[in-house]
Amino acid sequence: MLTAFAYWIRATPLGWAAAGGVVWLGPACLTLHFIGLVLLVGCVFAFDLRLLGVAKGLPVAPLGSLMPWAVLGFLINLTTGLTLLAGNPFQYIDNPAFWLKMLFVVLAGVNVIIYYSTGLARRAAAVASGQDAPFSAKTFAAMSLFLWIGVIYWGRMLLFIGNFF
Amino acid sequence: MELLAALENSAFGAWVRESPSPWAYPGVLFLHTVGLSFLVGLSVAIDLRLLGAARRLPVPPLARFYPVMWMGFGLNALSGVALFAANATTRATNPAFYFKMGFVTLAMIALLMIRRSVVRQSTLGAGLGTLSDRVLAVASLVCWTGVITSGRLMAYFGQG
Repeated sequence: MLTAFAYWIRATPLGWAAAGGVVWLGPACLTLHFIGLVLLVGCVFAFDLRLLGVAKGLPVAPLGSLMPWAVLGFLINLTTGLTLLAGNPFQYIDNPAFWLKMLFVVLAGVNVIIYYSTGLARRAAAVASGQDAPFSAKTFAAMSLFLWIGVIYWGRMLLFIGNFF
Repeated sequence: MELLAALENSAFGAWVRESPSPWAYPGVLFLHTVGLSFLVGLSVAIDLRLLGAARRLPVPPLARFYPVMWMGFGLNALSGVALFAANATTRATNPAFYFKMGFVTLAMIALLMIRRSVVRQSTLGAGLGTLSDRVLAVASLVCWTGVITSGRLMAYFGQG
């Protein structure tokens, strides 16, 4: 099924364009993938570091207003990532680093879902300037930092593990 | 050029380039990306705040992110030197490399100016930054985009 998907996406106009049909598309997507990364992890790390006690003068709730920019970064990376995948699907789906990267992205998402669904987000949002965040919020922040750095690690290892050109 | 060749052929340059150890080229490249995330990521978050995102966020406490950004810069200076040493002759003849270094210099100047005139002396509890704050923030975003773009382009000019 995965193989069928890979053949299908490669055969789409997007796959054709990303495979070199549009010469600059691959390099442009890679560049945008880094810009998306910076937006995503920049806003997320600022939030995580605050919860962990760096820049404690920042009240937590307004810092959360940066999150739409993190979401924008994520959407940029979803789009550019999918485009890169469409151009050379087997280079990714046959590479364990790709699946580990996806696993870490999913775990980072699960971490956020836990944060919101357990009421942790509400408790953290009440943390005012100068106050310490609850231990559970610090655990969430540490997990978030670990998982996103893991995503970066496996993304980089794509080049060195498996059959990447 | 001889100096660059000597650097490239040094034990260190050869180790970064050729060692099968995951701490050699792959590890150094990973650390370069981690440094980027902290340095550029936090800088961009501050720029967005000055441009009006998260307006209720007080600006002065953002100063505490600077030590983290210095660590990111230090990590990238060190990992950058290692990556340069591994392919010194090709990098030194790569025009994109010089563009990248130029943009890094400008971005760091903008970062320092934002820290000195905006974050440290700001009384900005909430609201939009002044016009000059916003000009600096835009300059910072433009320079970091230049750093990332020219960094990526290094892969397509010369031999990396």
